[in-house]
Amino acid sequence: MKPANGSMFLVAAALSMAALCIIVVSVASGPRLLNPFTMDSETCRTLLAIRLPRTAIALLMGGALGASGAILQGIFRNPLADPYILGISSGASLAASFGLMFGISLFTLSVPILAFIGAIATGAAVVLLGCGWKGLQPERLLLAGVGIGFFLSALLMLVMTVSVDDGLKRAILWMSGDLSMVDWGLLPVGLFFILSGFCLALSRRKGLNALTLGDDIAHSLGFNPTRERLYLFIAASLMTAASVSMGGVVGFIGLVVPHLVRRHVGSDATVVLPLSVVAGGTLLCLADAIGRTVAAPLELPAGVIAALIGSPYFIYLLRQGKSY
Amino acid sequence: MTTLEFANVSFSYLPKPFIHRMSFSVAEGELVGLMGSNGAGKSTILKLAAGLLSPREGNVMVGKKAIRSYRGKERARHLAYLPQILDLQAPFRVGELVRMGAYPQEGSQALSVEEALQVVGLQGKEKKQLAELSGGERRRAYIAMTLVQGAKVLLLDEPLASLDIKYQFDLYKLLKDIVREKGVTVVMSLHDMGMGALLDRLLLVKEGELIAQGDPAGVLTDELVRDAFDLNESLSVYMTANRFVSRALAVAAPQCQS
Repeated sequence: MKPANGSMFLVAAALSMAALCIIVVSVASGPRLLNPFTMDSETCRTLLAIRLPRTAIALLMGGALGASGAILQGIFRNPLADPYILGISSGASLAASFGLMFGISLFTLSVPILAFIGAIATGAAVVLLGCGWKGLQPERLLLAGVGIGFFLSALLMLVMTVSVDDGLKRAILWMSGDLSMVDWGLLPVGLFFILSGFCLALSRRKGLNALTLGDDIAHSLGFNPTRERLYLFIAASLMTAASVSMGGVVGFIGLVVPHLVRRHVGSDATVVLPLSVVAGGTLLCLADAIGRTVAAPLELPAGVIAALIGSPYFIYLLRQGKSY
Repeated sequence: MTTLEFANVSFSYLPKPFIHRMSFSVAEGELVGLMGSNGAGKSTILKLAAGLLSPREGNVMVGKKAIRSYRGKERARHLAYLPQILDLQAPFRVGELVRMGAYPQEGSQALSVEEALQVVGLQGKEKKQLAELSGGERRRAYIAMTLVQGAKVLLLDEPLASLDIKYQFDLYKLLKDIVREKGVTVVMSLHDMGMGALLDRLLLVKEGELIAQGDPAGVLTDELVRDAFDLNESLSVYMTANRFVSRALAVAAPQCQS
């Protein structure tokens, strides 16, 4: 699909410039401000061991959530769909919290791995329950996700209620989007799953556009709606699972970033998917930088900061009166 | 030449049988109306024709092949279907929507986006959001998408529903032009007998069975219409009024009459 107009390139260029600036700010800011022109060994160690992996993972997580939100809003034809509405985050939270609270730490990456397994298992259960005689229908899939999500959230509350040790605090932090524990070890696996999910989604971008018009139109355009929805759901699940397993549950980005992007560049998935990655990653990176700086040494959850920054802008755009 | 054929087609929404051994054919370049009461089977027939539903018995043929034997993109190049309820608030610009018609194309498009917009009278509105258009214009945007798609058979489920007389008439003129100039075959379900009287041919359906087919004057008789809609009273006054409407429309658009 050709770009709707030249302003799309301006938006993409502006967003990319903003992303580069925010990466620099994110790397430099924190409880201790780093000056890239005076690199001593301590600065170098902080940069390589803490700031760079944290910035990279914030970019990856935010990008994955932005793209997942764009996919799910398209396949469910529901502007309120986000990566967490399908119970995937509840599955990841339950598994990760179980590991954190009951001290299951066989090796360094055990919590992310548990979260990933929880997310993928939940995604698979949602697909199985959401598949009816007419295939993978959006309403049925959505209801299955919401139902499983509530069930797993209730189990999570139960586990948290019986837990008394300090693992509970870590679990709560993790569920608010905690990037303080990230390191380079998380990056290769997270990058692999996020890239796989994104490439899969990008290869089905035409199907995503067609599904947004409804299954009958998608069929008329030569697509198999059930197959397209399944591929796109797998792509969103992989990206969400990888994101949650790296840094916990970060809300807001998956819901609002795709709307913000569509506001500026239209709804063609060819454009919306990559720009949602850039915008989501940039926003989370900025939110994390602010969260670890403004009240240092206390760290504020990145998800909370992202919502505090993004919501006023989103409300401002809504007040402009343009329709989606 | 026959482009769409139902050969002894039966279908059931389990467990109740619904379409009973239905047979009819539609020739290339015909504008055919499907009429009948609510629940008579019009939408089901169109969905069977589109390959969205599979017949329990019989065959739906498009060109020389059964519709179910077409692969997705190949089917889309032969046939397009627009459901009764279109997402008129879909978050796309007109140009984005119409360009989606090129998805099934492997080589050159049957019609460019600009040409398709010209045909449906939406030139200059490519960058408008769908939501900014009137109901009639949105339907025309979807029809432009099917023109880019290059489909030779266009199946429309109640395209005139909820449109006022002007938009109904505009859409009728557009379909007539497409049939005449592009050689497209159109099969559409509708309720308005005044509009039905203007089409090339009508199929009258009752409880999943075809009770009459032929030219509108032969199908829209008092007796057949009363039977199709289970009416006891004479429809002579209503039919006369509809004939007036048809005549008025025909006079208003002599260039549209074949």
